[in-house]
Amino acid sequence: MIHASHAPHAHAPTSISRVMWLVIAALVPATLFSIWLNGWPALLLWAVTVGSAVFAEFFCLRLAQRPAAPVLSDGSAVLTGWLLALSLPAWAPWWIGALGAFFAIVVVKQVFGGLGQNLFNPAMAARVMLLIAFPVELTTWVQPAPLFSADALSLSQSFALTFLGQMPSSFDALSGATTLGHIKTELTRDISVVQALAGHGQSMSASLFGLHGGSLGETAAMLLAAGGLALIALRVISWHIPLAVLAGVALPALLLHAHDPARYLDATTHLLSGGLILGAFFIATDPVTSPGTPRGQLIFGFGIGLLTWLIRTYGGYPEAVAFAVILMNALTPVIDRYVRPRIYGHASKAASKKGAAS
Amino acid sequence: MKLKISELRDTLGYQIALLGVVALLASLLLTQASILTRADIAAAEARDLQVSLAQVLPEGSFDNALAEDTLLLDSPQGQVKVFRARLKGKVTAVVMKLSPIGYAGPIDLVVGMDADGKVLGVRVLKHKETPGLADQIETSKGRWIFSFDGKSLNDPSPKDWAVKKDGGVFDQFTGATITPRAIVGALKRGLELFTKEHERLFDSAATQRAEGDTK
Amino acid sequence: MNYLQITRDGLWDKNVVFTQMLALCPALAVTSTATNGLGMGLATTAVLLGANVLIAALRHLISPDVRIPVFIVLIATLVTLVDMALNAWLHELYKVLGLFIALIVVNCAILGRAESFASKNPVAASALDGLMMGLGFTLALIAIGGTREILGSGTLFKDAHLLLGEAFSFLELTLIPGYKGFLLMILPPGGFLAVGFLLAVKRIIDQRSARRAQEAASVAAPVTA
Repeated sequence: MIHASHAPHAHAPTSISRVMWLVIAALVPATLFSIWLNGWPALLLWAVTVGSAVFAEFFCLRLAQRPAAPVLSDGSAVLTGWLLALSLPAWAPWWIGALGAFFAIVVVKQVFGGLGQNLFNPAMAARVMLLIAFPVELTTWVQPAPLFSADALSLSQSFALTFLGQMPSSFDALSGATTLGHIKTELTRDISVVQALAGHGQSMSASLFGLHGGSLGETAAMLLAAGGLALIALRVISWHIPLAVLAGVALPALLLHAHDPARYLDATTHLLSGGLILGAFFIATDPVTSPGTPRGQLIFGFGIGLLTWLIRTYGGYPEAVAFAVILMNALTPVIDRYVRPRIYGHASKAASKKGAAS
Repeated sequence: MKLKISELRDTLGYQIALLGVVALLASLLLTQASILTRADIAAAEARDLQVSLAQVLPEGSFDNALAEDTLLLDSPQGQVKVFRARLKGKVTAVVMKLSPIGYAGPIDLVVGMDADGKVLGVRVLKHKETPGLADQIETSKGRWIFSFDGKSLNDPSPKDWAVKKDGGVFDQFTGATITPRAIVGALKRGLELFTKEHERLFDSAATQRAEGDTK
Repeated sequence: MNYLQITRDGLWDKNVVFTQMLALCPALAVTSTATNGLGMGLATTAVLLGANVLIAALRHLISPDVRIPVFIVLIATLVTLVDMALNAWLHELYKVLGLFIALIVVNCAILGRAESFASKNPVAASALDGLMMGLGFTLALIAIGGTREILGSGTLFKDAHLLLGEAFSFLELTLIPGYKGFLLMILPPGGFLAVGFLLAVKRIIDQRSARRAQEAASVAAPVTA
């Protein structure tokens, strides 16, 4: 039951499950790529997180004495777990994924009444919870060591890492900071963005193809964008939110970078870093927690983009997409209240008359 | 009687008088309480300061009231307050109060130094750093702050007074570089200031503020 | 006046936090440990008791038109007294709670009791009401603080000796030795989570007992229709 009262896309249940599985399908290429890039630990973490989300959903339905099979097959728990897994550092221990998935499903989704009733995007709320509660685990990034490359961990080493927390002794280049984190740190010691970027040794093409440290799926910008565009082409999601999110980040970045390039990052790095592409196409577009009207969606998306830029630039944490998404989720009911659909012509006319009179 | 009051209390005069009397009684009560507690509160606050300063000095190494024997030094970062520890009138050590800017605002810390410029101890009094990530600077959360004990400006050498990430000898924390960097930098500057002002700091004859007032 | 009902109301049926949903600011802000909750609860109880007694005693003298300013002056005076007393004689606790003591003035539960109970009832009943509402508030704060403390840092009643004296240091438990801590529960969001879940637990208990009472009633008086 989608709660969006006047959403043009309020589908019947079968169609919800179609949407969920299509979104998952669009995530597959980027996921495969990032598992290849980050090695076996990424696969293990992904499996634990998705598995825990499904189990948590099953557990809640059991508790509420509702049949589990129809709800589980709608794919929404799988998608929540999947998105959460993609937003975690690839080498995080298993309990981070499991705890996050339980939090997302039990506290953020089922406690609010299940699919369609939740106020916040479960995956992003869980990510924020994990970041606040376990900042060390959530900000320990590794330089990627692709599968089958010389540095890659073997499967048994990976098990030891993910499940027992044993860091292989050969591996000491631990905190391979992400681009955003690195620049944030360097700015505090008066090193300009330009120097910091050069020092980080990260080329634009590496960002495009995702060949750098980051969370599981934050990195493969191209593949994620391709998946997102495919979803737009299939009319699973509309273009409004993704475009508005990207514009919300790019506009202030362009303006201020032109004003002071030493202090403010350029727009391209902003767009390709962190979870922005994933957030814009796959997370902000969640129909349950975003406004129902195109105009509302534009406001919502731009708000996410702007908040992301603000928090990245001035806030305490280097990455901001998750914070921005749940802040705007909280505003969704307000946006829906004030941005009415234009289906009923009288309503908007009456409103404008009233506005003119007052 | 009751009836009369219920009539009377609707009049404006009664209401004004009521408010006035209540306010007057409240002020009298508070004044009395303030007189009663003032001495104890001042003593408790002085004890707080003494305790926080004494943390960075060896036990029994001083016999004066630290908070009353202060100097203000000028540094490029602004004025630095120094408390002097005396044993039988002779200055044996100083405690410097520093406030470097960390990740989320100033970190208030005190550092004790003996006459040879050796660090006796460092403690963080107040900070707003990220909980769980950078709060290992508190003694209740980690032992990092003890890694400065016994160090001086030439041990390690001045260029090693930095976190490992910047080529120095002091550890940073996983996921937090800015906080330790701020503290190490502040301590180094504090030690440099100490060396520069050594003579003034340990001039035992210099009047204590408390004595200066009475003489 | 039914003293049993007043007691029940204060402790459970009309619990300040979990039923009236009042005073949530202190309930969320100071309850990172059970000890803090206890300290804040006791300080509030002292003010609540004092305010109720004073206002009940003066209730015939206070004009309805200016009652709110009078209540506020009385409450603010009491709070300031508690503030000074704690600062002078329980200084360690004051350092933890200091910021929030002053906020007891705007604790709506106190003005609420003054307005809805003490201004209409005799002194003895008002005193009991203030005491029980205060204790109910204290228990709620201990429950929230205890939940957050156990989950957040694996201890219970940490630093209780600062509040109650060395004699009570036996209260201090380390339930989970070597626990790394679940920071979220100590931070403000943990307060919201703990209040939410404890509220749900109270609702479940209330529903159960209501159902049981209903069943008992229907057994006692079988349906005749």
